[in-house]
Amino acid sequence: MDNNNTAAKVEEEVINEDELFHFVEYSPEAAEMIGYSEYSYWKSVFQNFFKKKAAVVLSIVFISLVVFSFIALAIGHYNFAELVPDTTKGFISPNSEYWFGTDNLGRDYWCQVWYATQTSIKLSLIVAIGEGILGVIVGCLWGYIRQLDRVITEIYNVINSIPTILYMTIIALVIGQSFTIMAVSLILFNWLVMARNVRNLVLMYRDREYNLASRTLGTPVWRILLTNILPYLISVIILRLALSIPGTISLESTLSYLGIGLGIETPSLGVLLRNARTFFLDYPYLLVFPAVIVSVVTITFYLVGNAFSDASDPKNHV
Amino acid sequence: MVKYTVKRLLQSIVTVLIIVTIVFLLLRILPTDYYFTEEQLMKFTAQQKEEQLLAAGLLDPIPVQLFNYYGDLLRLDFGESRRIQNGVPVVEVIGKKFGISMKMGIISVGISIVIGVALGIFQTRHKDKIGDTVGTCYTVFVNAVPHLVSYSLVLIFGSRVLGLPSMYSTRNPGPSSVLPIVCLSLGSIAWYAIWMRRYMIDEINKEYIKLARIKGLSDKQIMVRHVLRNAYVPLAQYLPGSLMLTIAGSLLVEKFFSVPGMGPLLTDAINRYDTNVVQTLVILYSALSILGVFLGDVLMMLVDPRIRLTGEGGAR
Repeated sequence: MDNNNTAAKVEEEVINEDELFHFVEYSPEAAEMIGYSEYSYWKSVFQNFFKKKAAVVLSIVFISLVVFSFIALAIGHYNFAELVPDTTKGFISPNSEYWFGTDNLGRDYWCQVWYATQTSIKLSLIVAIGEGILGVIVGCLWGYIRQLDRVITEIYNVINSIPTILYMTIIALVIGQSFTIMAVSLILFNWLVMARNVRNLVLMYRDREYNLASRTLGTPVWRILLTNILPYLISVIILRLALSIPGTISLESTLSYLGIGLGIETPSLGVLLRNARTFFLDYPYLLVFPAVIVSVVTITFYLVGNAFSDASDPKNHV
Repeated sequence: MVKYTVKRLLQSIVTVLIIVTIVFLLLRILPTDYYFTEEQLMKFTAQQKEEQLLAAGLLDPIPVQLFNYYGDLLRLDFGESRRIQNGVPVVEVIGKKFGISMKMGIISVGISIVIGVALGIFQTRHKDKIGDTVGTCYTVFVNAVPHLVSYSLVLIFGSRVLGLPSMYSTRNPGPSSVLPIVCLSLGSIAWYAIWMRRYMIDEINKEYIKLARIKGLSDKQIMVRHVLRNAYVPLAQYLPGSLMLTIAGSLLVEKFFSVPGMGPLLTDAINRYDTNVVQTLVILYSALSILGVFLGDVLMMLVDPRIRLTGEGGAR
């Protein structure tokens, strides 16, 4: 701004009446100063995000926790795959040999807890990506193509009114319990929320004038969706994904606790807490370690997700 | 209004019917061995099993079974339980269980509304101050941390520090239902607080509040008469639904504290292939949630006379 002002002043002094009207040479730098040609969406997103110190710190915490879960498994004294039940060693409080103590069957708790943390994070990331892709695709079609609206709305209502627990129980009984089955079935039921959010926004933007113009000019549907509408949805999609991760971790632990989630051979938070339920009143460390770690993971992700979604909302840019 | 109600009711019946059909078909995927009790499975020969299944109509082609089931439903005959309580009518099985879930649920809805709305108002009054931050910490914690973990923390705190019983027992229903009710309320308190705060802040920034201030109304009058009443309207829609769903109970809370309520009944019934119980429960749940949404709309209309359900526009 200062430069412009001084430049204007200098010009004022030099100018005389004959030179008032004349053709200016084309100058690319000057042309670029019109509008926000330097504006880049993702650059602004990250700029906004890095302005929030708390969010940056939290994301560092999250990433270092994930990295540490691998280190922790490597430096522990016991390997998860080689754990042997030995009841004589049950309920040993945390010490230098067993850093998190042992569970009721005398197995090292340290490697179980970190393995469970990894399982939970892995599962929730896979589910988030899967539901994101499926949900956005269905949501776009649902909102954009009028003829599909009623059909998908009905499908949504029906799937949505049957309790998730019912599907999950039937899947667990008929197909079985494993990591892959769990991930696939959670994706198959979680996309509903994402699709609905996306659909509502697509409905809002599909008939704006610029889209009408695009349509009249013969732009194919996929391009309207991809380049005209989708950028508006990014902040909502990110928010939904960020919230889905704590949600999935919570749902997984609930289902595993009820015995219809992951099998006992895959330790996850729910499996650990189910085993510990009878004992943790007397041996609180069985609850404290997994609870603290998973709470740090979910809370940091929740807050970082919120911050990132704020940063990615174009209304907060410029 | 009458026409609208009837139309909506008919639509709901169709939806429930579709849901029941899907559940019915889903349940036929399960192996028929689940039809027998463990004892019968050991004793019966393959032929005896066949005969039993034939007599129960489980070997008929699926469309025939489905048709028969519709017929039973029309006569309001929900059938008998098999493995949960052999030979007892389903309605009776459910009837014995729902009282306790409903009692706890209604108490917890009451607590959540009072504390949640109060917390929301408190946060709005102290916006951007320490009070607001503390409230936000609570709502973030409850939303982000898995329920299982927060229930465990409540359990440890309640039984270690306050000396409350850690399991529900029918002999001692008063004190032993404190912790389950607290757990039931945790989430909904946070929910009410979040939305109350959001709607109140939206409302406070509107022009008519400025006018009310200029008119010289006191802060309290503005809050109670204008802001609160307007901010509560969107929340009123969820009240009937949450009251109705108390009948369904909470699966996790009831399992966690061994409450003999409705919550675990559904999973138990599926696990034991008690198809009649599962089907009836699903009808009950879907009917309750659909009715809840409808009553919510009606309540919203009563609370805010500007809202009309009939007529064009308006529809979300």
